[in-house]
Amino acid sequence: MAREQPNVGDLLPLLETSDLQQLEEIRSLINDQLSTERGSMLLNALVDYFLETNSAQALHILSSVREPHDKHLLDKMNDCMAKPACRLPTLMLLGHVVRKQPSWIHKMARYPLLLSLLKCLKTDTDVVVLVTGVLVLITLLPMIPQAGKQHLWEYFDIFGRLASWNLKNPGHVSEVYLIHLHASVYSLFHRLYGMYPCNFVSYLRSHYSMKENMETFEEVVKPMLEHVRIHPELVTGTKDHELDPTRWKKYEIHDIVIECAKVSLDPKEASCEEGYATMPENFYPQAHLRAQDSTSSPYTDLHSSYGSSSSTPFSTPRQPLPPPLSLPPLSGTQSSSSYRSPQTSRRQNSNSELNSSCGGKDPLWSPSSLCGMATPPSSRGMSPNLELSHSASHLPSRFHCTSGGKGTPASSTPATSSPPPTLSDDFPVISLPANTVQSSPPRKDRRPGETSKPGLVRQEHVREMEKSGEGAANRDAGSAANVTMTLTELSVFVTKQELDLQLRTEKEREEAAITEELMKLTEDKQELPGLRGYDSPFFHTTETLTGRQTQNPTSSTNAHPGGPIREPRYAASTPDRAENASGGGAGDRAAASDRSAVDRSWSFQSGFTPIDHHLLRSPSAPDDDSSKFEMFSPSPCGKAPVPYESLFALALPRAASLFVGQKTSEAVHKAAMERLLQREEGLEDGEEEGVVSASPLEVLDRLVQQGSDAHDKVLKRLPLPSKSADWTHFGGSAPLDELHTLRSQLLLLHNQLLYERYKREQHAVRNRRLLRRIINATALEEQNNAMKDQLNLQSVDIVSLRDSLQVEQQRYRQLWDDRETVVTRLHSQIRQLQQSRDDYYTKNQELQSKLQECQKRMDDLEAELQTANNKVGHTGHLLNQMTVKLSNSESSQQQMSFLNKQLLLLGEAHKLSMQDAQQPGMSNTKETEMLRMSHMKEVDSLRQSLLAQGQKLEAAQQRAAELETLLSKKEHLIAEQKKFLEDVKCQAKAELQASDCRFQAQRRITQLLQTELLQLYSQVEMEAPAAAGSSSPPGGRAETRTHPDCSGVAAGGLHAVKQPNSPSPRDSPRGTNGSTLSPGQPKASGSSLPLGSSMNGAQDLTPPLLMEPSAPCPHAALPAADAPLTVGSYPSAKSFLGMKARELFRNKSESQCDDEQPPPRLAGLAHGLKTELCVEPGPAGPAAATVHAKEPPPEPRLRPLGQGSPHRKAGPGQVGVRGPSGPRCPRQQLKIMDYNETHHEHS
Amino acid sequence: MADDPQRNFRSAYYEKVGFRGVEEKKSLEILLKDNPLDLEKLSTFSQRFPLPSMYRIHVWKVLLGILPPHSDSHSLVGGYRKEQYQDIVEALEVMRYINSSTPSTHIYLRMFQLESQVLPRCSETLPPNEDFLAISRAMEEIVDDSIDCYWLIKCFINQFHIKFGDSLPHLPKSLEHYLSQEEPRLLNHLRSIGALPQLPYSLWFKRCFAGCLPESSLQRVWDKVISGSCKILVFVALEILLSYKIILTGNTRPEGVVKFLCNIPQENTDAIVTKAIDLWQKYCGNPNHAV
Repeated sequence: MAREQPNVGDLLPLLETSDLQQLEEIRSLINDQLSTERGSMLLNALVDYFLETNSAQALHILSSVREPHDKHLLDKMNDCMAKPACRLPTLMLLGHVVRKQPSWIHKMARYPLLLSLLKCLKTDTDVVVLVTGVLVLITLLPMIPQAGKQHLWEYFDIFGRLASWNLKNPGHVSEVYLIHLHASVYSLFHRLYGMYPCNFVSYLRSHYSMKENMETFEEVVKPMLEHVRIHPELVTGTKDHELDPTRWKKYEIHDIVIECAKVSLDPKEASCEEGYATMPENFYPQAHLRAQDSTSSPYTDLHSSYGSSSSTPFSTPRQPLPPPLSLPPLSGTQSSSSYRSPQTSRRQNSNSELNSSCGGKDPLWSPSSLCGMATPPSSRGMSPNLELSHSASHLPSRFHCTSGGKGTPASSTPATSSPPPTLSDDFPVISLPANTVQSSPPRKDRRPGETSKPGLVRQEHVREMEKSGEGAANRDAGSAANVTMTLTELSVFVTKQELDLQLRTEKEREEAAITEELMKLTEDKQELPGLRGYDSPFFHTTETLTGRQTQNPTSSTNAHPGGPIREPRYAASTPDRAENASGGGAGDRAAASDRSAVDRSWSFQSGFTPIDHHLLRSPSAPDDDSSKFEMFSPSPCGKAPVPYESLFALALPRAASLFVGQKTSEAVHKAAMERLLQREEGLEDGEEEGVVSASPLEVLDRLVQQGSDAHDKVLKRLPLPSKSADWTHFGGSAPLDELHTLRSQLLLLHNQLLYERYKREQHAVRNRRLLRRIINATALEEQNNAMKDQLNLQSVDIVSLRDSLQVEQQRYRQLWDDRETVVTRLHSQIRQLQQSRDDYYTKNQELQSKLQECQKRMDDLEAELQTANNKVGHTGHLLNQMTVKLSNSESSQQQMSFLNKQLLLLGEAHKLSMQDAQQPGMSNTKETEMLRMSHMKEVDSLRQSLLAQGQKLEAAQQRAAELETLLSKKEHLIAEQKKFLEDVKCQAKAELQASDCRFQAQRRITQLLQTELLQLYSQVEMEAPAAAGSSSPPGGRAETRTHPDCSGVAAGGLHAVKQPNSPSPRDSPRGTNGSTLSPGQPKASGSSLPLGSSMNGAQDLTPPLLMEPSAPCPHAALPAADAPLTVGSYPSAKSFLGMKARELFRNKSESQCDDEQPPPRLAGLAHGLKTELCVEPGPAGPAAATVHAKEPPPEPRLRPLGQGSPHRKAGPGQVGVRGPSGPRCPRQQLKIMDYNETHHEHS
Repeated sequence: MADDPQRNFRSAYYEKVGFRGVEEKKSLEILLKDNPLDLEKLSTFSQRFPLPSMYRIHVWKVLLGILPPHSDSHSLVGGYRKEQYQDIVEALEVMRYINSSTPSTHIYLRMFQLESQVLPRCSETLPPNEDFLAISRAMEEIVDDSIDCYWLIKCFINQFHIKFGDSLPHLPKSLEHYLSQEEPRLLNHLRSIGALPQLPYSLWFKRCFAGCLPESSLQRVWDKVISGSCKILVFVALEILLSYKIILTGNTRPEGVVKFLCNIPQENTDAIVTKAIDLWQKYCGNPNHAV
């Protein structure tokens, strides 16, 4: 940065380069630097550079500085303000910056720069600085409206100081400056009054109530007050409210500017917006009239004051003016030029007025250029006469302007508008062919008369004024006054210059034509000076009129008459002109163009356009001859298309344009009428007209115009080189001073111009906004229309819908009615039905009650029936009883009869016996008595025995019943017992099966063992067949003995082996020796007999059994007799159940006995064999012993197995003994049977 | 029964959620409390419901007639049985058929032979009865007591032969029948590869799946057999075929099929048996001593 800083600083001088590209580069470089850097170095350098060189490029850059640099810039400017030397350039820079309206401008109020500006304005004495500062302030005020609160009184003080400056002129500056200062003060006045009316008025009140300030007020402030309306805020607002920042929030800058302009009555200052545009025209004349009435005397004062005030502006032109006077010689050309220049100026003025009326300012027009040209005006080329005549011709118009409150329309139109009414009145006449000549003369007569009079009067007045101006000012020049007047006119033109390019070219063309024209005219004029006097003013008036016509239709119509009038006049005066016009047509064309320019703004009279066009354009030649055409020619209708208006027509809806047109036409009519009146009045007392005060702006305008006029003249008159020499001639002052003055003046003008330009831009902004609003409004209107159409359509719809609704309603009503009728009918039906239903209900109830009654009756009847039945039953029963009784009684009757018979018989027998008894005697009776006695006794004894018998019987019966119950009990018990027995039987059977199974198994085992044994035997025998005898004789015998049997045994064994297959195992055992014991064994084990006894019994019994196996039964009966002891105890132990069990067993055993019966026989059959065995018990014992001895090995094992083992042990030990176990069983059974028997017997 | 306060009120729901046999134990206990046991009822119960294992041996013994219906004589009969067993064992020892080192199944076999009088001489050597041995091996696993075991084996075999000896030859036919109903494709496959006649019928029907199914599953089958139905064997066989039909259909060699069927995996036999019982109940309806 620091490295580049000097670079950029060095670059600054390069800004002035002519190379565009380089310039662009440098500018971009500086801008980049500014955007990147935040320091103030470069900016300060730029400002310094600007202050030094006044460079436009630097200015451009500075005025577009961005946000962060604003502070530096303002600070720097503040610093610069302190130095008086650079104050002016600083202010100019500030003005540029402010007019640029940067976004940070609102910060201005906070920076000391504002304070220093205000201070400067309050203290500085340099007018140029002051004017520049004031203009900056004025521009700045709308931008920082809220800042007014702090600085308001400073503003006012500044205003007061500057306002009094004009009068007091403390700095003794040249008066030219004062004009500028006055104009700027005027602007400040407007701004302050527009923005802070209450405060400002109160300030004015307080400030100018002081005596020392009264003069200033009268001179300066009061005229200014003339140009403003009463501000509405004065009515509604308060001082505090004005200063409220919120009030300004809704306003943009241009809003404020326009607000200020609204209250202004100065058409140069005021805006023609929102009804105010017409107001000046409507109100102004009235106000003016009033003013004329009321302020007729002040007017003079005003005028004088104006003279004094305007003397300063006049003075400058006047300075050069005297020389012309002193140098009377005038070349024709000069005069013509001089003549022309006002005319052109007038024309331009008219155009400018036209333009100003349109509110436009031509940007192309730069006053500086005019001013630059406005070197000392040289009007001295004019002949005094001419001058006079011109001045005379000019003056009225000027005075109109000035007297008419200077308002463009007011001042000049009245002057020219006097003819229009007459014209308009005469229009039909005019429209008649060849009437123009006739019509024009009277007018001419009248006009010239009229105009000449004021012209003269005015001239006198001007003279007076000039004189007064001379008195007030340093220099005075009678003829120069005219020139100054024209100059002022021109200045107005200059400041308000429209400078439409088109118009401009037209004007130039015009000028060319007019110069030509005038060249000739001057000659004529010189020849006809009297005419000139009439002519020129009239001409000028017409010229001004044409200018004025911008706002005045009537005047525009008038303008044409003016044209034709002029032309005939010209024709009369200068025959060549007609030729000229007809031949070259330049002048005509110029006039036509002029008119067209006029016409453009008045397009609503376009009805005449074609004719006008026709007459004036193509047949320009017959213009003069045929007055008929001329009749139409006056019609001012724009022969040329109206671009501007048409543009508006495009932008605005036609209604709006029509409205505007209508409004304006009305207003213009009115204004024209009034102006005419005023004009006539003014003509009558012309003095008053000139008295009207001019606005400072106008004065300034005039100054500029005058300057440029003078400059023109000088240019025309003097060769360029001699210009410098002229200074001494005109001013008499040092040329340096003059130059300085001029330069500063130029500067001031420039400032003024910039200010105005700024204003114009504000207006443009506003216009754009308004245009947008208009567009919006039209769009809305269109929308509105569309909506209206829609509304209409919808209303139509609504109507139709309403109709249909009515129809529907009717139908609905009809339907409703139908329904109602149906409903009512149904209701009635329902009611009827209900009634009938109710009837039925009641009937039903009655019937039910009847039914109930019937039922009751029925019940009663039934009860009665029952009772009757009862009775019948009872009676039946009774009857039965009775029949029984009857039969009884009958039988008793029979008995009775029988008894009676018996009685009879007995009676007879008694009689007989009595007879007998009586016959045998008494002895018989004793005997009978005795007999009877004995019979009696016998009967008694018999009765007693009968009784006893009955008792016995009863007892027996009881006994029988008892026994029966016992029996049944017993039977029950028996059944139970049977069941139990069955159960037990099953159990036993199962057990038996188990044991049987076991037995089978056991048998298998034994079989196996036997086979094993046999095998072993066979082995033994096989081993020792020879050693058999040596072992033991009995054993050997036994063996021998058994041997023969062995085959049998073997057979038996084989048989036994086969036994499982045989169905009856019990048959065979007896056949075999070994196996016979098995049946008995289980029995023995099964029976619960005491082992010991059985053993003993068995041992005891064995011999007899063996001895007599065939007769065991009688023997068995004996032990059975012993047995009861044991058996008898058994039932006692087991009581009844045991008894039953015995029974069961008996049955079984009986059946078993039946089965077992054969075994004894078989045993008997096998008795021989057994006896054989038994015969030799001795040898059998050892044999058994041997067998027994063989067995020991299994024995110890078997023994613990169970109770069966001793038996088995015994079994093998007593193989032969086993036999009797068979007979024992029957005995046992017998025992049981015995027991049973005994038990039976016992029980 | 419903009013019986002793009965669990949840009993109605047990069967719905699949807990069969919760209430059966109780009802079985009630059955077993009768003094003369009702064999009909017991066998019906055993057919219809699975037996609780704690009562199984007892019920079997009752059903097979090892114990009498009268509980009073149980001890007595038990004694008999014990003695008989001991006698036989003693005799066999005496005759040196067995010694202390003889395996129990062989002891049982000898005993059975002795009882059925077919005990060979010592010199003779008969081919060991494999059916009996298989059954006895299975029973030995089920029963701890050797006496009970012997009796159960003996009675089971006896009863089986007495009761179903006639219907055994028809079982393969009915197996085919049911297989054609359940899975005709498998039947066709077996028939086409010629494995049908080679199926291990002896293993299934003569040994009653002893050695084929693990004992835990086997005893449930035997419940039904003991309670009087040999059709269950058919359904167990059918279910085995159905359960392994994928493997069987994948196997085209009859030897492979037979080999596989002889050594079926022991994992899900319980499920097979359950399904088989369901099938059996489905086909034989309410199994009321259906043969």
